[in-house]
Amino acid sequence: MLCLQVKDQSSINTRYAKCSYKPLFCFCALGLVKFQPSLWPWDSVRNNLRSALTEMCVLYDVLSIVKDKKFMTLDPVVQDPLPPKQNPQTLQLISKKKSLAGAAQILLKGAERLSKSVAENQENKRQRDFNSELLRLRQHWKLRKVGDKILGDLSYRSAGSLFPHHGTFEVIKNTDIDLDKKIPEDYCPLDVQIPSDLEGSAYIKVSIQKQAPDIGDLGTVNLFKRPLPKSKPGAPHWQTKLEAAQNVLLCKEIFAQLSREAVQIKSQIPHIVVKNQIISQPFPGLQLSISLCHSSNDKKSQKAASEKQSPEDHLYVLEHNLHQLIREFHKQTLSSTMMPHPASAPFGHKRMRMAGPQAFDKNDISSLQPNEGLLEKIIKQAKHIFLRRRTARTIDSLASRIEDPQIQAHWSNINDVYESSVKVLITSQGYEQICKSIQLQLNIGVEQIRIVHRDGRVITLSHQEQELQDFLLSQMSQHQVHAVQQLAKVMGWHVLSFSNHVGLGPVESIGNASAITLASPSGDYAISVRNGPESGSKVMVQFPRCQCKDLPKSDVLQDSKWNHLRGPFKEVQWNKMEGRNFVYKMELLMAALTPC
Amino acid sequence: MEPETFLDHEMVFLLKGQQASPFVLRARRSMDKTGTPWHLRYLGQPEMGDKNRHALVRNCVDIATSENLTDFLVEMGFRMDHEFVAKGHVFRKGIMKIVVYKIFRILIPGNTDSIEPLSLSYLVELSVVAPAGQDIVSDDMRNFAEQLKPLVHLEKIDPKRLM
Repeated sequence: MLCLQVKDQSSINTRYAKCSYKPLFCFCALGLVKFQPSLWPWDSVRNNLRSALTEMCVLYDVLSIVKDKKFMTLDPVVQDPLPPKQNPQTLQLISKKKSLAGAAQILLKGAERLSKSVAENQENKRQRDFNSELLRLRQHWKLRKVGDKILGDLSYRSAGSLFPHHGTFEVIKNTDIDLDKKIPEDYCPLDVQIPSDLEGSAYIKVSIQKQAPDIGDLGTVNLFKRPLPKSKPGAPHWQTKLEAAQNVLLCKEIFAQLSREAVQIKSQIPHIVVKNQIISQPFPGLQLSISLCHSSNDKKSQKAASEKQSPEDHLYVLEHNLHQLIREFHKQTLSSTMMPHPASAPFGHKRMRMAGPQAFDKNDISSLQPNEGLLEKIIKQAKHIFLRRRTARTIDSLASRIEDPQIQAHWSNINDVYESSVKVLITSQGYEQICKSIQLQLNIGVEQIRIVHRDGRVITLSHQEQELQDFLLSQMSQHQVHAVQQLAKVMGWHVLSFSNHVGLGPVESIGNASAITLASPSGDYAISVRNGPESGSKVMVQFPRCQCKDLPKSDVLQDSKWNHLRGPFKEVQWNKMEGRNFVYKMELLMAALTPC
Repeated sequence: MEPETFLDHEMVFLLKGQQASPFVLRARRSMDKTGTPWHLRYLGQPEMGDKNRHALVRNCVDIATSENLTDFLVEMGFRMDHEFVAKGHVFRKGIMKIVVYKIFRILIPGNTDSIEPLSLSYLVELSVVAPAGQDIVSDDMRNFAEQLKPLVHLEKIDPKRLM
């Protein structure tokens, strides 16, 4: 069977050689699909044998022709003699060169592949860094994707702000850096692009000045140099950048809100809004200025700022409170609208919706409206701060000017933004324990000072400095007389008369004079003290009649018993008395007049 | 603002006059929050608009009223057509209100304690009350609706086709 197939195959192959068909196709043509020639095991052997046979035949023919020498002769061909020594060397060189070139090519290829993969790795790493940075950014800031850009939101809108500034920043992929150059230390694959009007740093400056500056000076408040906040260690630089921008935005919002209110509110003295400054007059002759200081990073403004350095008259408390107030304002806008119940009802204030069914009148409805704006609140606070400062100054200047009696002021540590209190004690040195009659509680409000006396009297003073000063002076003058009264008790003297407000004698410009008359324990002597806030103290001593040598003998009073009658008063030269203060002098005088 | 749950009772009143279509008013009260006023609402005819408008627009008049509203309406000649209880959640995004609720059938008329859900599904409704002619808000609504996909398919529905 096999033999037959071989035969067949040979015939096929001869045919194939003639037709130059492909064997498979031939098979198809012959219909012998059973077997393929390439798979026939002896095929190559047979081919080789055949070609060998052909070669042999050709060789035989050539040899026979050459042998006959009839048609063909063999003639040796002269070959160019090769240079005997150079030849192998050149060959070697060429071959070495070739092999080296081959090796170099392989190495180069490898290097190229390596560098490509390294670059790819770094690119991947940077991409990963960018993604991780983006993740960190995402934890702190609101981001969204718009087209192929990543936009962030640094506005306070989600916290309830109604400021129309969109406050959008763009996240930039900062991966295109030059690989050859050294990567800077603070390199960050993520960068943020903030709007140009939010760049730099800003703050709100609040100050109170005494007199109004020239109109030419208005609105030119400059930023004095304030070092940019250094980034916290570990915090990425985009964080500081965004925080600074957000601060600028908040300051702008505060200022915008204040200026809007300044224009809307009708006050007796209109508020002035010029450029970046709002000026208001809380008290006559006093001006409150609120300004927005914004420095962009360009050198020009920094230079201008450093040239004109204003003295530090900041009211930091008010600046802080402004920030607090705007946040409260934000919170209010967020919390004022409630979820509607029933759910179909519109959003809005619940009490506002009750207004119709419960038939609110105008007062009820107006009480629902937000009553006070930012500016009014801050002006009130400024007024209070100013009044408190001036009160402190008045008390301090009185205390330093007047040594006797002494004034002590105890300020309370915990204050309201609109009210603070101080306790004022008027004492005499060395007699603190016995004379505690004057204790004043001063409640300093926004426009006025309420004074609560120890005995419960309430006196309301206006913001005028003079009023408080006069009041304290009159109280100090009263204190001396009160102290004498207390001293008399200790010394065993009798109080004959006492009056806080004497109707006699010279009229005082401040308050009234007070007077006291005392009698010695034996009744022989009497002391009369008159103390006025302006006229000062006048002390007189009454001697018994018998001691008055210069008294003319009266014809009427013959009997010696009349000698016990009191004689006339004599004034004591008070400034020549020994003693460090009034009460001490008084004590010495009483002691001198009390017989042992 | 935190989303809240709600439980409302709604009554629909009709006033039939000479016109072919009756005058419809909806009175709604909150059952879980006491002290809130009743809500009387008039809804106008829905306007489909063209393709550029992504939401159905209808006029509405919202009135907060006291609780004797039903008596007043009946005195005026209104007749209660149907009532139901709505129970679900109310969300808020800006001026958009999103309500997700189930409608309950009232088994005994007037008794809101015996109720039975109309369906197991929730109804999601996105609405904005805006001044007339502000069609831009419908873009915001469409954008928001896009975000709910594929969980919720919020679409503009022509109510006439459902009837």
